[in-house]
Amino acid sequence: MAENRNREFAQPAGQNLNSTETASNDAELLERIRGGATDDFAELIRRHQSRVFAILHRYERDAHKVEDLAQETFLKAWRALGQFDGRAPFEHWLSRIAARVALDHLRKEKRRQNEIGLPELGDDALDWLRSDDEKSELDARSAAELLELAMRELSPADRVVITMQELEGRSVKEIAAVMGASGVAVRVRAMRARSKLRQALEKIAKEKL
Amino acid sequence: MNDRKLKRLFASARLETPPAPPGDFAADVLRAVRRGPPAAAPESLSVFDQLNLWFPRLALAASTVIVLCCALDYGLTAAGVPSLSDGVSQLSAQWLLTPAGL
Repeated sequence: MAENRNREFAQPAGQNLNSTETASNDAELLERIRGGATDDFAELIRRHQSRVFAILHRYERDAHKVEDLAQETFLKAWRALGQFDGRAPFEHWLSRIAARVALDHLRKEKRRQNEIGLPELGDDALDWLRSDDEKSELDARSAAELLELAMRELSPADRVVITMQELEGRSVKEIAAVMGASGVAVRVRAMRARSKLRQALEKIAKEKL
Repeated sequence: MNDRKLKRLFASARLETPPAPPGDFAADVLRAVRRGPPAAAPESLSVFDQLNLWFPRLALAASTVIVLCCALDYGLTAAGVPSLSDGVSQLSAQWLLTPAGL
């Protein structure tokens, strides 16, 4: 189950190359970029932009802000290209940068949270939340909006951990690398975050009655 | 909210389609790359943010002063030099609390 999920997330939609081909092509492109072919960086961006947008969209629902964050991600990657040693695929390295950009963004947003109004939830999401029917389904957009609202109760670090684990299907090792924490710390944080999220959802169901 | 319901919520949210990158996104990033590192926008910091930033330095400075004072007091006591409290006691005995009063 977990393996299937990881496979599902490993390849961004619309990408035809398999991961080995992509990695090998990325290595060639990176070699040329390091040799001074700055224009080739645009090709690297085109290859990975969908993946970066998908990651950042998990943390920010405003499309314009997602674009700004994606640009920041690629600029950071550009500045740190010298540190990329090629041991892991470029895509993984870039995903880690995107997650860190998202974490910084959430920390800044958290400070301003009181000034920003809470997003409105549709009736579908609230009905689903209050329903006892085990088989009722919620559409993807409503589910994402509901999660966004509940996750505002979490700390930025908790949110990144739970998003990477549950929505992106990342391994504990990958999350630990992004968070600069041990695997045990990530597991503990994920467990607590899930519990807080459950409480936040229950609170939403009661408050909006 | 049970675990099964939470898992179904995650599963539904996972299916959401992310926004597509604009057609000229790569060109925009490349332009930004050529412009060089953007100047960091000045961020307005509240008093508490500034105190938070300064806290480690202030704590270190205060600890250093306390340690120095303790070491100095210990050194002076060991050397037999009258301490400040001895001086104050002497002063009060001689000048302030004499049998004749103030």
